[in-house]
Amino acid sequence: MSDHGSNEPGPQVQAPRKSYRFLWLSLAVLGLSVFALRTASAAQAQGADPAAAQDLWKTIGIWCAAFMTLGILSFLYKDNPFYKVCESILIGVSAAYWMVNGFWSTLVPNLFAKLAPTTVREIALPDLPVSATPGTDMALAFVPLVLGFMLLWRLAPRGGWIAVWPLAFIIGTTAGMRLVASIEADLLAQTVATVRPLVAFDKATEAFDFWATVGAVTSVAGVLSVLTYFFFSVEHKGAVGATARLGVWFLMITFGSAFGLTVMGRITLLAQRFEFLFKEWLGIV
Amino acid sequence: MHEHNGSGSPSFLARLGGIDRRWIFLAMGLSIALPILLKLRFPEYPGPMAKATFDAIESVPEGSTVLVAFDYDPASAAELQPMANAMVHHCASRGHKIVFMALWPLGRQLADKAIEEVLLEFHPGLRYGTDYVQLGYQAGNEGVIKLMATNVPEQYKTDTKGTPLASLPLVAQIKSTADFALIASISAGYPGAKEWVQFAESANPEAFKLVCGSTGVQVSQLLPYYPKQLDGMLVAVKGAAEYEMLVEGKYPVEKNAERLGQGRVRMGPQLVAHMLMIGLIILGNIAMVAGRSRGGAR
Repeated sequence: MSDHGSNEPGPQVQAPRKSYRFLWLSLAVLGLSVFALRTASAAQAQGADPAAAQDLWKTIGIWCAAFMTLGILSFLYKDNPFYKVCESILIGVSAAYWMVNGFWSTLVPNLFAKLAPTTVREIALPDLPVSATPGTDMALAFVPLVLGFMLLWRLAPRGGWIAVWPLAFIIGTTAGMRLVASIEADLLAQTVATVRPLVAFDKATEAFDFWATVGAVTSVAGVLSVLTYFFFSVEHKGAVGATARLGVWFLMITFGSAFGLTVMGRITLLAQRFEFLFKEWLGIV
Repeated sequence: MHEHNGSGSPSFLARLGGIDRRWIFLAMGLSIALPILLKLRFPEYPGPMAKATFDAIESVPEGSTVLVAFDYDPASAAELQPMANAMVHHCASRGHKIVFMALWPLGRQLADKAIEEVLLEFHPGLRYGTDYVQLGYQAGNEGVIKLMATNVPEQYKTDTKGTPLASLPLVAQIKSTADFALIASISAGYPGAKEWVQFAESANPEAFKLVCGSTGVQVSQLLPYYPKQLDGMLVAVKGAAEYEMLVEGKYPVEKNAERLGQGRVRMGPQLVAHMLMIGLIILGNIAMVAGRSRGGAR
């Protein structure tokens, strides 16, 4: 493969660009032709078999998904119009999806349904249960409604400070809720989990368990050395320095294993896309 | 700048250092595509965490009510759907009643997929409302878990079909998360397994067993919770493959078995791609060291 990242101006650059434009255009025409043939054959089958109508839409969906997959992957070769199209569609669809999702999963059931339950039941949520305390619900719903308007006030030309109050409320409640959970689940429970015998015995046979002992010692040594590394009130020299360096080793091993696990996840994602292309799109597996 | 051998052409190691990265992309693509095309399968040996997850579900008395939270979306389904499928089949085969829910918006659709392709496929006799219930997605992240820890009916007034919980025999008596025998979170990040530990397990430490399935990216955050706060954990697609072995070993199915083998299918590409990556790392380091020793490193 040749490198096409040259920035030199002149006819030497223009010629390859034209050839690549022709390549992308050819690929697009080829893909669209095969897609049209597949769709036409599915549509023809639809006349004979009513169940094939579903196949037609499935065919269109699979081809769209295949086009998106190949379009995004094509960026690995170089930036190109297919990638730009797929990227723009992804961004647009994601933004729209989260906006619609936020409206229907948060605003409608948690706010509008409490402010105007009868209206919401008539036009949006026919299965909305009848509340035993509609008055209280409505009164309480005014609190987030007002806070929401205050939050949006920052878009107004004046009075931006009004948005600070709901922000303070959000930060305060979130911090309070997470603080207790973190202290209980992370600080206290993790401390208890770390304080354990360094010499381990098998529960069933009560024999000395070598590998469990190694695990316990490694765990405690890792915690203490990493804590020492992040302890900056004492200069990292002598014994403290040696322990801190051990902590750095533990941290590096942790980062390495985290990177390895991330790689495993990314490979799985690519494998799944290839499975889709080979099985559902091309039907060769 | 390339270093040259005696004949004036760049040496192999120097050319290796300056290789076009698209060759590496191509090699990685082939290392993943070929095992899929050739259907390469390698034996899996269940590790302690997969066994712990399996044992946790086995240890719960038959007929218990378990909660399975689909805390992920299609972006992570490649890693998590295989373990979700195996877990649903395992719970149903063990005779547990399953309550489905989701902390991620698209988790509900993935739970529906597991219900359709696994639960109803392999256990067609199960009835909605008495054997399983789909609660669906609720907005609120960890707030949902916090409220469920004390008051499930307040958080979920109806199921996804709009039926009040009081009308569904399976969940009519459920008041809090403590009423579940086991909670499983198939988790891709926030909110997910970490929040289940922080807001449900710490609120009722001994009330139920908590297991999770996790993406590879998230595992390093969850490992400290195992085995004290998490009774079992499935680590990425490797954990899914190991767990599939255990589940299929005890509860085999007669047809469409590939639906319980997706994790193992994806371990073939894993092995080849990892071998390639290790080889590239070694070669890259050799090239770097050789370049430095000759003063040609860039």
